[in-house]
Amino acid sequence: MVFIVTALMLEASPLIEYFSLKKDMKINNYQVYKNSDIALVISGVGKIKSAMAAIYLLSTFKSKKEDILINIGFCGTNSLKYALGELIAINKVKDMDTGKDYYPDVYFGKNIPKETLCCSSKPIFKEDYKEDKDMLFDMESVGIMEAGQKFLYTHNTVILKIISDFLTPKDLDKEMLKDYIKNNIPYIVEIIDELKNLNDSSKISFEEEERAVNLLCESLNFTEAMKKMLFKEVKKSKLKGLEPLNILNDFSCREVKIKKEGKRVFEQIIEKLK
Amino acid sequence: MNRLLKNSNKYFFHSIYIEEGALNYPITKNIIEKYCNSNLIIIKHYKDVFNRTNQNFSVQKQNQSLILAVKSKPFVYNGPDVCQNFGYSNFYYTSFLLNCIFDCEYCYLQGMYPSSNIVAFVNIEDFKSEIKYITSKESVFLAASYDTDLIAFHNIVPYLDYFYDFFKSLPNLLVEVRTKSANESFYKTHKAIDNLIVAFTLSPDEIIKKYERSTPSLDARIKAAKTAISMGFKVRICLDPIFVGPDVDSFYEPFYNYLFSQINPNDILDIGYGFFRMSKDFFKRIEKIRPNSLLFCDDYSLKDGVLSYPSNLQEKIMKKHYEILTKYINEDKIFSL
Repeated sequence: MVFIVTALMLEASPLIEYFSLKKDMKINNYQVYKNSDIALVISGVGKIKSAMAAIYLLSTFKSKKEDILINIGFCGTNSLKYALGELIAINKVKDMDTGKDYYPDVYFGKNIPKETLCCSSKPIFKEDYKEDKDMLFDMESVGIMEAGQKFLYTHNTVILKIISDFLTPKDLDKEMLKDYIKNNIPYIVEIIDELKNLNDSSKISFEEEERAVNLLCESLNFTEAMKKMLFKEVKKSKLKGLEPLNILNDFSCREVKIKKEGKRVFEQIIEKLK
Repeated sequence: MNRLLKNSNKYFFHSIYIEEGALNYPITKNIIEKYCNSNLIIIKHYKDVFNRTNQNFSVQKQNQSLILAVKSKPFVYNGPDVCQNFGYSNFYYTSFLLNCIFDCEYCYLQGMYPSSNIVAFVNIEDFKSEIKYITSKESVFLAASYDTDLIAFHNIVPYLDYFYDFFKSLPNLLVEVRTKSANESFYKTHKAIDNLIVAFTLSPDEIIKKYERSTPSLDARIKAAKTAISMGFKVRICLDPIFVGPDVDSFYEPFYNYLFSQINPNDILDIGYGFFRMSKDFFKRIEKIRPNSLLFCDDYSLKDGVLSYPSNLQEKIMKKHYEILTKYINEDKIFSL
């Protein structure tokens, strides 16, 4: 599953339209839009709101470590090396309030620039930032990093920022901002695909086998220890290229009334799996 | 090594993280110059990146980053019980690098570290001071590459160049550098020194293909070992880890015979022999991060917190192997645990 957090509806609407996301009417606490693969939440502005919304999303949809959390939003910069509307992948987030740094792994977007981002709890104007260094500023990334690191593999928390202004974050043209998001959708789609491939490459699923073992153990009254041993043997058998599901299936109609009989059937299954 | 050669240009590492405190060291400056187009990220402390929770070891291994850091004390540790001390009671080890560019399925480092990124320590003078201090008190056997492969890393940071004169100057020190690398440049550019042993870890090619991803072939390693021997280096052969099972048992006899048809047994210092073994805690962690590994699905016997093959099976296999090995080399030159 891909979880997207945006601070504003303005940032979300081009994504909702592109991915054909539908509002989840059962959820009242947040505005959540989803399809079978993506769930998007509009968090509101600021790192606390972004953290809360991200955790709400990850918990509500029972996230797994292989799921992906992406923060898509605008950032301001004092740097003239980037144009308005340009997409940046963030490889370091600095919390301007606490001084803490976060390091998202950026294993995607070979041709997308990578930068450090400063996360502030209030909007940064030109006159607020006196340092000579080129920098990007946002208000949500820290919350996303805090939430992501609790639930997901480090490489699955992603911060994508689009330059909205040169530290003049007032009275920006809303239609132009929407266009910035729209223009970057092909890159965002590519990034999502790259992340999915990365997660798929490291995964071998035993979900089906686990389900079958659970069912069989329940019907044959096997103990938890027997279940653990059985699952291990099933896993081994699958890795050897055998078909343990067929073997489990052969025993699915067996009935066990006494403990001794259960033990005997258990040994038979293990023998067959080897 | 294949991966290293293929990627020996500026993009070898996915990213390079540099501790603020490491910026002014010569190793850092060389790396920045060499990989100037890489993604450089300044960090406060290497553990902020290396010790993050929920890192995925295998995904990271495919996208390995380098972290340049300043090591704090201690610089030298007591040798662990699961490693051979080759008869030396004052047995220590040190780590200039954490993690390895190779990707061996059985490697204990996967269970030891939360990350597969490589940490390279840049404050080599501090290592030298502590090594000098311990050797001033006693004769020392120092394993310098247990948690990495210094020779394989030589083209990136040539630690052995930096330590060569230093090792040479300490008669009380005997250093072992263990490697699977086919990189011969160190042996070709340096004269052999008495107190440096190069230990080549060799396995049957079938085992290399099965478990030692992205490492050089047996022939490439033998070639490097022969070069080291021809240049006068003391060479140790490490037959470690040995695997046991109906699918692998038959590989060893032809392997030993082939090995000694290529390398004159009189030219090697000795042999280190050891079965696959691992601390229970590391094993459990690896079991989780390598769910598709048959090696970590197998049952092993537990003794003193270490998982390995049952002792009677080890004895049986070792006896068989020794019968072949002792045709080539005296038993007193074979060290096992």
